[in-house]
Amino acid sequence: MGKTFSKPEALTDAHTHYCPGCTHGIVHRLVAEVIDELGIRKNTVGIAPVGCAVMAYNYFDCDFQEAAHGRAPAMATGIKRVRPDLMAFTYQGDGDLASIGMGEIVHAANRGEKFTTIFINNAIYGMTGGQMAPTTMPGQRATTAPEGRDVEKTGMPIRMCELLSSLATPGYISRQTVLKPKYVNKAKKAIKKAFEYQMENRCYSFVEIVSTCPTNWGMTPLDALKWAEDTLLPYYPLGEFKTPEE
Amino acid sequence: MGKIELKGTVIIVGNYGSGKTETAVNLAFHMKAAGIDVRVADLDLVNPYFRTREARHILFEKGINVVLPEEKYMHADLPILAPQVAGLIRNPAELTILDAGGDDVGTTVLAALADSFVGREINLIQVVNPLRPFTETVEGCKRIQGEIEASSKLKITGLVSNANLIDETTPDIIYKGYELIQELSHQTGIRVEFITAHEKLLPELDLSRFDTPVLPILRQLVPPWKKPGL
Amino acid sequence: MAKVLMKGNEAIGEAAIRAGCKNYFAYPITPQSEVAEYLAKRMPEVDGVFVQGESEVAVGYMIFGAAGCGERVMTTSSSPGVSLMSEAISYIAGARCPAVFVNIMRGGPGLGGILPSQGDYFQATKGGGHGDYRLLVMAPEGVQEAVEMTMKAFDLAEKYRGPVMILGDGLIGQMMEPVEFPEDFDATPMNNDDWATSGMDTRKTDKRNLVKSLFLDPKALNDHNLLLKAGYDRMRQEEVRYEGYNTDSEYKILIVSYGTMSRVCKTAIDTMKEEGLEIGMVRPQTLFPFPEQAVHDAAAKESCSHVVSIELSMGQMVEDVDRCVKGQRPVTWYGECGGDIPTPEEIIDHIKSLLKN
Repeated sequence: MGKTFSKPEALTDAHTHYCPGCTHGIVHRLVAEVIDELGIRKNTVGIAPVGCAVMAYNYFDCDFQEAAHGRAPAMATGIKRVRPDLMAFTYQGDGDLASIGMGEIVHAANRGEKFTTIFINNAIYGMTGGQMAPTTMPGQRATTAPEGRDVEKTGMPIRMCELLSSLATPGYISRQTVLKPKYVNKAKKAIKKAFEYQMENRCYSFVEIVSTCPTNWGMTPLDALKWAEDTLLPYYPLGEFKTPEE
Repeated sequence: MGKIELKGTVIIVGNYGSGKTETAVNLAFHMKAAGIDVRVADLDLVNPYFRTREARHILFEKGINVVLPEEKYMHADLPILAPQVAGLIRNPAELTILDAGGDDVGTTVLAALADSFVGREINLIQVVNPLRPFTETVEGCKRIQGEIEASSKLKITGLVSNANLIDETTPDIIYKGYELIQELSHQTGIRVEFITAHEKLLPELDLSRFDTPVLPILRQLVPPWKKPGL
Repeated sequence: MAKVLMKGNEAIGEAAIRAGCKNYFAYPITPQSEVAEYLAKRMPEVDGVFVQGESEVAVGYMIFGAAGCGERVMTTSSSPGVSLMSEAISYIAGARCPAVFVNIMRGGPGLGGILPSQGDYFQATKGGGHGDYRLLVMAPEGVQEAVEMTMKAFDLAEKYRGPVMILGDGLIGQMMEPVEFPEDFDATPMNNDDWATSGMDTRKTDKRNLVKSLFLDPKALNDHNLLLKAGYDRMRQEEVRYEGYNTDSEYKILIVSYGTMSRVCKTAIDTMKEEGLEIGMVRPQTLFPFPEQAVHDAAAKESCSHVVSIELSMGQMVEDVDRCVKGQRPVTWYGECGGDIPTPEEIIDHIKSLLKN
């Protein structure tokens, strides 16, 4: 019997630092599989964010740059403009992308920069220890919202796919999740499509992955999966929001 | 070599850094000295330094009326068009010189004044320095011409060669500028109004080579370590 | 190549292209926008990259990304814009990427004004961004020197693998002077296969490269900063540049001045010399590394009774001058920082008042 499961070439041998029940590991693997399948590992530059994935460069086995908080899309712009032959992807969380990096992501998408963004939305600041994110749900507790997010004072959670797909510039914008095995294949397809659009020099591509953070949510991994499905998915609906064909 | 015959409203345009302001200021002095009533307006909204307003004191001293933005906006990083400018165009002096900003960007403001230009004879003078980037060739000068005409919605009526390398200008540079402006005139059918040469250089020039008037220049817009008017 | 007449801002743009830099990212700000306007026309002619970013913050990181790939890259800005870029400059220094930043200074603090200033001396030479880094800072006195320094900046950025800054005041950017571009400049970049994220295929290797500034292990961070320090120490040994003006004379007073301000001082010194009054000047061409020894030795000259730092700021470089003179002579400051530039006559008056006292 042949080997049915092995580590993608685009991942290193390092053990990740991610907590039990965190979905970063699955998403890393999906991105790595897509890189392998497209045969682009030796021509790819990843850009790590500030956030839990700050050390993503320890896990992806390709060239990597490490950005400042929120600035990954500007760095990817720099990379792709001077080396359009390279493949570039940013891997960013919700605090990084939707808060401090809002300007950079909107303008990179609007310029139609030819890189790919993987956006991990787990509705909380992970690395800095559970503070409120722009995507934190109404009433959801965070260390900086001890009584739960008060939308009167902090506004409603920002839906990035909806926001970015309102731009007139063509792009590929998709929201997926990996909460259950049935979602995982779809997520991978979206990631692959995103990279393919980049390979074809077609458009900017953005895949949001609705994710979990059991540690900062204060839940068991199983409860976290359920909470995400019950609470996050209704507010952050899955699907393709925009394709360049439109 | 004859006399400069400009009258009425003269707008000085040209590519960025071609020496429009130095030409405008010296033209004003020259015509004033010839007994003509001269007024000058600074329309340069794009350049932050080295504008006509920098030479306002000496212009005033020589009895030349200058229209400028209000004193409090003089160093503002704002494109402010003094409201008196439209009035000046409607009621021009014997010679009214408008010093526009560089390139097509600097002349966009002229389109905003279009209403004031209706039914009036306007001299739009393109200043060329072939030692500046983008106007080393006739093609380059024609390209700028097209851009300025498109943005100002006016036609260029006259040409000026202002060939110079500041303190390093030689007679050859003046001759080279003269040849280029003649060729530009030949190809476009636009007449050459005059060429410029620094006063100190005049004795070294063979003036019989020029069919056009020569405007003597004394530099008024100089960095702070140099004296103006030398 | 024959001389042409260029604004400092245009000349800096052209110098970058001549130095093999085909990548320019910027955000408009007075008084340096002509660099962007010039390169918006020129870059397409040389198949280069021109990007107007959405902010100076973003531009700083576009520079970082491009520099991380090992490509020659430059941005230009003016004081408030450089404040916004300072974050990226710190990261670029930390990640050891070569990049060229140009600051055509205007008045500050805050929005200040749009006229010339040298108020960013501290920002450029003492930090600006966070952390233990230094910028190699060159200060041209005119358009020709701005060209030479800009071209050299790319080599120095690669030699030291870090950001290099050209610090000019608004007048350097706005004034026009005849300029000549060197024909023999070797625009070949240094090999960067050992660090740049240029793609493993491009480098024909299985070894990936990381461009990063995060070192969580205290020893690793300390070692990294020691490595940076070694570079800065080497700059102090190899890159100090200055000009002595009338320093062969038996000068009574030593001026230390740079950029536009030093041009005015030269006129003042020439005028005083005609009157029989000898005044000397040290003009730092590199502000970091600062010409420490030159200032020290020039101040020590027997005939010299006083040292004055003349700047378009409220007294910034004077602290470095004082540090180098080491108490041998009194050190004072003279200058203006609202945008007006002291005239040669004002400088002469000040020098004479110093001699009287």
